[in-house]
Amino acid sequence: MFRYYLSLGFRSLRRNPVLTALMVLTLSVGVAASITTLTILHAMSGNPLPHKNEQLLVPLLDNLPADNGNDDGEPPEQLTFMDAMKLWEQKAASRQTPLYGLSPAIDSGRADLPPFFTEGVAIGRDFFAMFEAPFLYGDAWSAEEDARAAKVAVISRSLADRLFDSGSNPVGKTVRISDNDFSIVGVLDSWNPVPKVYRLIGSERFDTSEDVFVPIRTAVALEFDRNGSMDCSSEPPAPGFQGYLQSECNWVQYWAELDAASSRSRYADYLLAYVNEQKALGRFVRPPNNRLYNVGEWLDSRGVVDDDTRTSTWLSFAFLLVCLVNTVGLLLAKFSARPGEIGVRRALGATRADVFRQYLTEAAVIGVVGALIGLVLTWSALAYIRSLDASLALVTRLDGTMLVTAVAVSIAASLLAGLLPTWRACQVVPALQLKSQ
Amino acid sequence: MLKMQNLSKVYRTHMIETQALRGFDIHVREGEFVAVTGPSGSGKTTFLNIAGLLEEFSSGEYLIDGVNVAGLDDNARSRLRNEKIGFIFQGFNLIPDLNLFDNVDVPLRYRGFDSAERRRRIEQSLTQVGLASRQRHYPAELSGGQQQRVAIARALAGSPKLLLADEPTGNLDSNMARGVMELLEEINAAGTTILMVTHDPELAARAQRNVHIIDGQVSDLEHETRRALASLSTTPEAV
Repeated sequence: MFRYYLSLGFRSLRRNPVLTALMVLTLSVGVAASITTLTILHAMSGNPLPHKNEQLLVPLLDNLPADNGNDDGEPPEQLTFMDAMKLWEQKAASRQTPLYGLSPAIDSGRADLPPFFTEGVAIGRDFFAMFEAPFLYGDAWSAEEDARAAKVAVISRSLADRLFDSGSNPVGKTVRISDNDFSIVGVLDSWNPVPKVYRLIGSERFDTSEDVFVPIRTAVALEFDRNGSMDCSSEPPAPGFQGYLQSECNWVQYWAELDAASSRSRYADYLLAYVNEQKALGRFVRPPNNRLYNVGEWLDSRGVVDDDTRTSTWLSFAFLLVCLVNTVGLLLAKFSARPGEIGVRRALGATRADVFRQYLTEAAVIGVVGALIGLVLTWSALAYIRSLDASLALVTRLDGTMLVTAVAVSIAASLLAGLLPTWRACQVVPALQLKSQ
Repeated sequence: MLKMQNLSKVYRTHMIETQALRGFDIHVREGEFVAVTGPSGSGKTTFLNIAGLLEEFSSGEYLIDGVNVAGLDDNARSRLRNEKIGFIFQGFNLIPDLNLFDNVDVPLRYRGFDSAERRRRIEQSLTQVGLASRQRHYPAELSGGQQQRVAIARALAGSPKLLLADEPTGNLDSNMARGVMELLEEINAAGTTILMVTHDPELAARAQRNVHIIDGQVSDLEHETRRALASLSTTPEAV
């Protein structure tokens, strides 16, 4: 019977086309508004590494001075270079990496491709395994290359395609990064974790992943300037880049990966011991105030989803509700024009439940059509948002989940809107309608 | 086939109480062709609606094909209506955006027949009313007489034991009315019981039995008396 109701539903779309068009339009606009904002919210609030949620940790240490005037009780959101490097060298976790942003200049040496700036990060080799960066060619540099600050680099597929013959394997070739020749050891396949969880400090959280990855010791040795924020609670002891390396300025992000979530408390103990050890050297003057965040906690604490996004999502669903109320009215008008047909069907053997199912299916058909048009509108709205702000490109993609959600929301909305009109249709007294026909 | 005993139907609003049927007794045997006549407001349509299980009655007893309908729920009444009763209305009541095939298909869908069985029954009943070649046409493309034939085909498709016709020729000219009446007689001859409400004494005269309803009560007329009345009457209301 469902197929019969479905065919009646589609046939009914042609009946009173103006009313049908109004309903479909109302529903599709409501669906488009809500799915557009939900798509952005969904992408922003996603966790690209859910299976590693408990293992990947961000440690924060409180190196603020005792009389810190603007005290919210939280430690700085990054580490000093000294602490990051010490934690990295001590290797208390199974994997770990310090990280700071770069803005390197790339010189292809080709006349047709003038030098250009791109995005990069200075990291340890564990970074690739920790964040599951997919290699198209080659692999990460070795621990030995990390230790001796070798001039090796991993580049993105898009940079490889730009510099070399598209599709060729550039491993072993040289790339000139900020006036230094680096040997390419690996090429990452397209890889865009959303949000860019490993780099939530700053404004790059929804950007595409970087083009250049180099060992942090190499970057420091070559004095590659940081591209990212820095907080200093005291003046660096020396001027220039070297001064920042020895300063209490916090500008390096740090990640550790544990074998199992159970070792989190052990790692916290290790951090506490480290702070106490530093205290003995005259650093960390405040009472120990360490933090340890897993991926989900870090995303929450960084406020990846801002209040504006949440508010617009609520507002768009309120708008969908308004559209729903309008659809109820339009469906009432559509269904109430057909008491004669209901009377005939009842006389010919339809139960109230049959009438209910038929009319609710009809409402669902309107929902399906509304969903299809709503998806086109959603896609257009997301494209428009992308055109306004290119940095939102990764969070304005309509993925499979959102496609299914859009159709489900539209059908659920139409079914909800159809309940009252359908119930009213079931109350038709056939005897009255048949005589008045 | 149909038996009502001491049936009553009262319509109540918060102000008024109207007794549409009272002490209503009727027994229609299987295979009969019964014409129901009576002045406007006498209760004919109420009787037909109750007979067709489209309305509940207030008290009394009603058996259709041996089944006591009192206390049946909506599902059971709908199933009984679908299996045992066919309806023919004055206004044809075809669904305008379904073609003839799909209109005749409606009761068969609710019966749950498979598609081959439905097709067989639809083609057979449309052939019976002489419209097999027009099954893809829509009601608006047919004359009134043809539309009523489609309604008859729809009523017949489910092979009901009882056909309820409410002024089946009321919207037709005399030629078409004659054709429809002949068709009903054929159907009755094939064994289907017919209960027909009419204002037309000529049509009533062609039925085997005439039941006259006055003030919600039955007054069963003998065949011969009915013929005499029909020949004397000049207006339908005089019956």
